[in-house]
Amino acid sequence: MAYSEKVIDHYNDPKNVGSLDKNDENTGTGLVGAPECGDVMKLQIQVNPDTNEIVDAKFKTFGCGSAIASSSLATEWVKGKSIDEAMSIKNTEIVEELSLPPVKIHCSVLAEDAIKAAISDYRKRSEG
Amino acid sequence: MASEHTSCQSCGDSLISPLFCFSCNSLQTVSDDIDHFKVMGLPHCFEIDSAELENLYQRLTLEMHPDFFVEAPEKQKHLSEKSSVMLNAAYSTLREPSSRAKYLLPLLDREKSLETDALPERFLQEMFTFQESLDEMLESGDQSALCKMNEDLQNRHTFIESNYADLFKKFETSPENHEILQQLQTQLNAERYLRRLLDRINSE
Repeated sequence: MAYSEKVIDHYNDPKNVGSLDKNDENTGTGLVGAPECGDVMKLQIQVNPDTNEIVDAKFKTFGCGSAIASSSLATEWVKGKSIDEAMSIKNTEIVEELSLPPVKIHCSVLAEDAIKAAISDYRKRSEG
Repeated sequence: MASEHTSCQSCGDSLISPLFCFSCNSLQTVSDDIDHFKVMGLPHCFEIDSAELENLYQRLTLEMHPDFFVEAPEKQKHLSEKSSVMLNAAYSTLREPSSRAKYLLPLLDREKSLETDALPERFLQEMFTFQESLDEMLESGDQSALCKMNEDLQNRHTFIESNYADLFKKFETSPENHEILQQLQTQLNAERYLRRLLDRINSE
């Protein structure tokens, strides 16, 4: 299967690989998986509690090129957004941006799930 | 039609597989939608005799392979191709316990109520940690740590696969208990992650 140029770009030069301190109360961590293929994706956000803006994001994904590209793109997109804006990112936008073929759509779903999981983890921790 | 798939369309003898009659050596016309178990003349049951499955596969391949129908009329040629594709798909799915279980599960899940993404608690975190440690081991070339991890994962994988038969049997005796199917689904999901890790170790 041929990957699109944008997928290859993200795969060769992934943005924001790494991790944030998950014990910091201003971070949120989302860990999601796709049993279909055994991919695991961790996406973390750092939030400015005064403005609710996502100031940093990191990811680490064990999976195919499309899963890596989807999560790399997701971290780029959430940075600078408010958590509400980030919450509304749809997997279809990722599919479009990366020209993912139908068999790889689940990778974009995983990235959307990871963003949502990270945000809900942040909310839970900042309220608690 | 009651006799469909069970008796030969030419001689009327009973069929072992709906694809071919060994009594009069004739290819059978079959509908596209018969499932892999039916192709091999098996009931929807997890436990199968692997030797018997392989034996039937080989006998059918020897009779139906498209190479033997190069000179045959178009209809026969087409039937042999179609049946061989069905045979290969059925055999490759049914021979391995995990792929067989994965295929059988939705056939038994009449209520379509399975939570297909379910995993044991904290399992994902554990798999992520395994992948990260694997990164380190591969980078440092720590062979003994790799061997150890391979063995641990292999044991867990074997343990999961060894439970399928019992769980399916349990479901047969209490088919109203959908919780058993969910347990199987969860185990199958876990199996996928473990195999993914094992593949990664063994491809390096």
